[in-house]
Amino acid sequence: MPSLSFKFTLLVLISTALGFLSHLGLGLNQHQALSIAIFSVSILGTLFFWSFRLSFAFLGTAVLMMTKTIDLEHLVRFASLEVILFLVGMMIIIGLLKDEGFFAWIVSLILRMRNLSAKRFVLSVTIISALLACVVDEVTSIIFMVAAILEICDYFEVDPLPYIIISVLATNIGSAATVLGNPIGILIASKAGLTFEDFLFKAFPVAMVCLVAVIFLVMFWYKKSFEKLDLHIKELGSNDILIKLISVPVEKRLKISLLIFGVTILIISLHHRLELLWKLELNTVLLVMPLVSSGCIMIWKRHKAREYVEHDVEWWTLLFFLLLFAQAGTLKYTGATDVLAQKIIGVTGSNPHLLSGAILWMSSIGSSILDNVVLVAAFIPIIQGFQALHVNLEPLWWALLFGGCFGGNITVVGSTANIVALGILEKEKKIHVSFLKWFWIGLSAGLITTCLAWAMLTFLPFYR
Amino acid sequence: MKIREIMIKEITSLSPEMSALDAWDVLQKMKISGLPVIDDKNKLVGMFTEKEILVKILPSYMEAVGKFVYDENPKAVRQKVSLLAKMRVREVMRENVITVNEDTVLCEAAHVMLTQKARRTPVLNQNQEVSGIVSRGDVLKALFAEYKE
Repeated sequence: MPSLSFKFTLLVLISTALGFLSHLGLGLNQHQALSIAIFSVSILGTLFFWSFRLSFAFLGTAVLMMTKTIDLEHLVRFASLEVILFLVGMMIIIGLLKDEGFFAWIVSLILRMRNLSAKRFVLSVTIISALLACVVDEVTSIIFMVAAILEICDYFEVDPLPYIIISVLATNIGSAATVLGNPIGILIASKAGLTFEDFLFKAFPVAMVCLVAVIFLVMFWYKKSFEKLDLHIKELGSNDILIKLISVPVEKRLKISLLIFGVTILIISLHHRLELLWKLELNTVLLVMPLVSSGCIMIWKRHKAREYVEHDVEWWTLLFFLLLFAQAGTLKYTGATDVLAQKIIGVTGSNPHLLSGAILWMSSIGSSILDNVVLVAAFIPIIQGFQALHVNLEPLWWALLFGGCFGGNITVVGSTANIVALGILEKEKKIHVSFLKWFWIGLSAGLITTCLAWAMLTFLPFYR
Repeated sequence: MKIREIMIKEITSLSPEMSALDAWDVLQKMKISGLPVIDDKNKLVGMFTEKEILVKILPSYMEAVGKFVYDENPKAVRQKVSLLAKMRVREVMRENVITVNEDTVLCEAAHVMLTQKARRTPVLNQNQEVSGIVSRGDVLKALFAEYKE
């Protein structure tokens, strides 16, 4: 494992080289080159120093301000506070759901599955993982999916790894289906002016097609494991004894929590209609609804309000996002991304198919190594830069979304869901999943889904 | 008043290589919730407590799921209890230990225990060796004794 000082030296060298290269090679001015160098510090900071990446974002932002690369007013404007507030609101709602036993209830529903067979179990795992990732974020949904899988596999004494990998693959695919599935969804919606309906009509079908393809893939890939599970189900009988042990009563508070969550999702899904009705700016209701719901929650649970805000909101991650968005905005503010956009057009031409394909594959491969939020934050100002070159941006936004989500399946560190799920597996079962053990199934799923998304973006007139 | 005046000097400690089950027996016999773990160089390497045992036994995803879904203990928990019998103290103990010095003032030690949620804390001498242990009860006893005087 490389030492801390080696990684730090590498970070400084790469970002300095990128700064100089963009200044001397691409002809960017000093401010533009500096903004690229600082942004690459944040990217490399997440890659090399995940546990304290925020410190690099703090220092980088300070340098941008001190060198007058950006002023305070623009820094605040580019920080995308609307996205941060949306995520804060959603995290408080998730905190309430957890508190009132919603996730335990979901786990119990999965465990209560009747007439269990391996095929039925895999189908349920993939479909529930994908759908849950659509409505709560991917990291939250994967935790209780892993919990349910471990319980079932423990009961039938089979290796849980194939089912956990299947659940993670489905979760990453499902997270592209709606605005709520992944932080990059709301980020793209906010920057591109896309609505929940747009996601429902354009992202959801692609995610579902990819999900079906992945179901076929895993059915073939893990055939032997499924045969073993079927054998154990035959030997031990169905899960009747397990079902008898389960006890998650649906209490009044859980019903109220479900009502709040349901209303939030309903209004979010109708946000565009309501905005048209009330003559509000695009995405106002979408961004405000989590705040309304979390505000109501904090009145209802006033004694726990502070706990929800302090413990259930991941301030560390959100602060990093805030500064990352501001730094990405600096690339736009200095004009660096406009130059980059022109250079890309110089290579690909303004052919939208070629451009969306390039963005899809770059974001897919990129997000297999990098945090997809970092990658998408970097791509957003570049895509915005294409606007001045009269390129139709919509297919590019979808390409960025699909690449950012599906690419996360390729490697073991490709998305937070992968890291969280395998972390639990290692802790609970002492099963360590090596890079290669994940890679082949991950790569196959990543390639198939990215190819499908590419084909749909290219051939369906819907996306042009 | 300094901690050296109230600390328990004759401390029972555990070895990192001791079986976790034997260590749990020691805790039960002493009717105590935790003990320091000291290596053969007399250096403090961790704290073995009931809390750490529970952390090992309960599923790590419990906090995220929010509630336990069973009426009875599931197979996984029973398996983990049996696994604990094969584990060493070093695999269960908490490595990040809150400590105080012999010269730490009583109220400062109380403040540390309160803010760090430590029931008892090992006391280190100038050579960073464990010279005693002090609990919340010891601190309270000393404070009340001072008041009565």
